[in-house]
Amino acid sequence: MDASESVRIALRSIRSHRLRSALTVVGLVIGIASVIVFATFGASVKAEVVNDIEGSSANNVYVFATPEDDEGFDRSIQPVFTERDVSEIRRLSGVTAVVPRGTVDTNSLGRGDDTVARQRVTATTPQTFAEGSIVAGRGFRSGANEVVLNEPAARSFDENATVGDRLTLSLAGNRTVELTVVGIVNGTEGQLPVGDFAGGSRVYVPIDPFYRTVVESPSVGVRQRAYPQVTVVTDPTATEATKAEIESYLREDSDARRLTPAGTELTARTSGDFVAQVAAVIERITRFVTGVAVIGLIVGAIGIANIMLVSVTERTREIGVMKAVGARNRDVLVLFLVEAGLLGAIGALLALPVGLAGGYAATRYAEVTFALAPVWMAAAVGVGVAVGVLAGLYPAWRAARVDPIDALRYE
Amino acid sequence: MRSADVTFGDGPTVVELDDVTRTYDVGGVVEALAGVSLALPEGSYTAVMGPSGSGKSTLLNLIGALDTPTEGRVVVAGRDVGTASEAERAGLRGTEVGFVFQTFNLLPRLTAVENVALPLVFAGVPRAERTARARELLEDVGLGDRTDHLPTELSGGQRQRVAIARALVADPAVVLADEPTGNVDTETGAQVLDVFDALHDRGNTLLLVTHERHVAERAERIVHVKDGRLEDVESLDDECGGRAD
Repeated sequence: MDASESVRIALRSIRSHRLRSALTVVGLVIGIASVIVFATFGASVKAEVVNDIEGSSANNVYVFATPEDDEGFDRSIQPVFTERDVSEIRRLSGVTAVVPRGTVDTNSLGRGDDTVARQRVTATTPQTFAEGSIVAGRGFRSGANEVVLNEPAARSFDENATVGDRLTLSLAGNRTVELTVVGIVNGTEGQLPVGDFAGGSRVYVPIDPFYRTVVESPSVGVRQRAYPQVTVVTDPTATEATKAEIESYLREDSDARRLTPAGTELTARTSGDFVAQVAAVIERITRFVTGVAVIGLIVGAIGIANIMLVSVTERTREIGVMKAVGARNRDVLVLFLVEAGLLGAIGALLALPVGLAGGYAATRYAEVTFALAPVWMAAAVGVGVAVGVLAGLYPAWRAARVDPIDALRYE
Repeated sequence: MRSADVTFGDGPTVVELDDVTRTYDVGGVVEALAGVSLALPEGSYTAVMGPSGSGKSTLLNLIGALDTPTEGRVVVAGRDVGTASEAERAGLRGTEVGFVFQTFNLLPRLTAVENVALPLVFAGVPRAERTARARELLEDVGLGDRTDHLPTELSGGQRQRVAIARALVADPAVVLADEPTGNVDTETGAQVLDVFDALHDRGNTLLLVTHERHVAERAERIVHVKDGRLEDVESLDDECGGRAD
């Protein structure tokens, strides 16, 4: 029996039980569509996050102290990089700039009567602000009472803050300073891509005079400012090599090494490292959630197996007739497998638009850019057909083994 | 008793049973057929009569390659049913044997022409060819205007004629009919039997199982089966065979 004939006969059978076939397919559609929804959503989130990180300078090496085995996120970042470390790193080959960064504890940031609670601001140097990142105004100058806001921070006031505004920063210890907004920067350019880097509000002040965390430098023996994080801008052609040099300096000669508490590791990471790391985490979450959705797929498969078994029982006599007129066991097996596979394929094809629509809705809801996961989509359709065929295997085997003599007697 | 060792007529043998025994194990051993020998020459028309449980159906199943003998040999169109594989027996059923059942056994979702063409589907005959052949046969049984109807749209007599056309579509060596008039009224039954007569006239080999004497008398000879054995073979003259020559 040729394949097209099997498909024709199977389609005829599916059509003759419209409601039953439709319900079976619906079960499978739900399973496959949820896999597609979660896979698409995961891919979208991943694409968004990776874009955010890659948008920040690829030639930056981020140096910070982090407890060992930690994934490198913002927990327990220690102020261990002294001024001496900063100047030593600046001398390494391939380094074009070193931007130390720390936090200053604060209570609130106000403009006139409009006060916004804020626990900390970022203290850094003017090199933080890359050319392209400044939307309005300029970067601050060291030693000046100036402040730079990123766009979310500017929007955090009732009326958007603009260049020239006077802000009141309330520091921990009930000290207040008057600051002039000199620049607005966009998103996350040049920042350590951790924490709520995507869309978090940030306020930047100059290290001088606001950053006051000091430790005694073990190598120089004087108290110096120490920073929890240092961004090293490198020659783009030698980022990896420079990262290696930085690592070896940190390991062998740095104050940071001696200041680092036990169990904490000094880490140098490039944007690429972060991309890989974050992508891996999102990938893992996506896989887990998609795995949960696969349960739906299994339920769908059981639906197909169930309906095919019913179908075999109902059509026992037909199977007998087919065998009496020359159908081999294999023909009967193929016929039922094709029918089950077709149910799977129909389910998969219907699930594709449903899943994509669901994925799109989820990305809209979560405000991330919609991205396709073509491999997952193809896999979902393939799995649909495979699930149908697999679910149909046992019923089809039962059908193939029907004894025509019994079947022809069967009422 | 080996009465059926007699070969009817002079034509080459199409079906041969040689000392065939078929037992079933259903808690205890039941002998459905015991030492049956029978030969059907080409072009013969044989009726098998016997009470229920006599072994008629077993005989039909063996000749139809649906079943295999426990002992002895069943040869259909030169092939030994007992030693054939499942696929070979399926092939035999598809091309050398045509079944006509009491309850027609048409597939409900296939049209008349598709039902008739079904054996050719499994025999791997191309679509155009098998459809043409099926239409031709439906014309022959007077259903040329019913080819695209579903079985439910046909009367009992029409369905049985579709079933006969299906039995003939692969040009089989033997046509086996199991109570073909059992599910239709007398008049329709007579029409069905007329079709068998016509087949006989055209040289088809027919084996018809029935419990009705008047049906059996349309054949050339009646084989009486009882308790799994051939009791008697009754030869009928053409005159009392009732054939419309």
